[in-house]
Amino acid sequence: MNTHELTIAGYLAVLVSIVLLQVLATRTRAPVPALGDLLTRAMRTRTGRVGVLVAWAWVGLHFFAK
Amino acid sequence: MGGHARPFSFLAGFREPVVWVLLAIAFFTSISGKPVDGVLMLIVALGLVVDAGRRARGRAAQEAVAAGSAGPAEARPARRLSGRRRVLVAAALLAGGVAYAVVVGSFTRYSWPATAGIIGLGTVVVLIGWHGPLRHRQVRERLPVVGTLLWAVVIVFGGLWELSALLLQPSITTDSYAHPTISTLTDPVLASSPGRSLVLAAWLAFGWYLVER
Repeated sequence: MNTHELTIAGYLAVLVSIVLLQVLATRTRAPVPALGDLLTRAMRTRTGRVGVLVAWAWVGLHFFAK
Repeated sequence: MGGHARPFSFLAGFREPVVWVLLAIAFFTSISGKPVDGVLMLIVALGLVVDAGRRARGRAAQEAVAAGSAGPAEARPARRLSGRRRVLVAAALLAGGVAYAVVVGSFTRYSWPATAGIIGLGTVVVLIGWHGPLRHRQVRERLPVVGTLLWAVVIVFGGLWELSALLLQPSITTDSYAHPTISTLTDPVLASSPGRSLVLAAWLAFGWYLVER
């Protein structure tokens, strides 16, 4: 496995972990919060809310804007 | 507490870590050749400072606001729509979203039209979401510690993995085949107009999902 494949494997591991945690949260009784619950909790305060929304906006800026 | 206004209450926003994170992003994006991003982050950071300062001045009269926090984002009173109107509004939003994705996706990446489209929509969504979720949602008082830690581990690992790939590039602006960042990996998808439109549609849908949280 070269470094290119290793780097991609790392991203895939993160992606699979996210799917796995979400499935554990929504399909089992495991003590794992769903991603939506985490986001709702993080967005409970004004600054948390604006911070999450700005992070979302930044993704758009990063991939498409000057 | 009492009803007296505190001196320097207008600086209350600087107690919020998010403000410092936004200021750091503004600084680093500006020096790395993305001044537009930097200016926008600076505007939001200063907006939060002004907002928090205004809320801090009113805090003496509102004991309900928790100390050290910018206060909970409260849901706005929901306006009930009839079933037919709700379907029409949803259809109009969906059609608008698809039109946006197709039109902005047709613009070349990093062009001024694409930049204007992203900034315009991003501003609208942040402003809509600023004052609270569009509808009331139950917030769990306590999240399971172990499960929350697992999420934190995955998210932090993902961030560090991306950062290590970025730092292993020949330079911060030069892509590397050996250590591709997510941006590098998504370049082939974003090279075509349909690819850009699909990614924009997903970005838009996630933004709306966040506004409703």
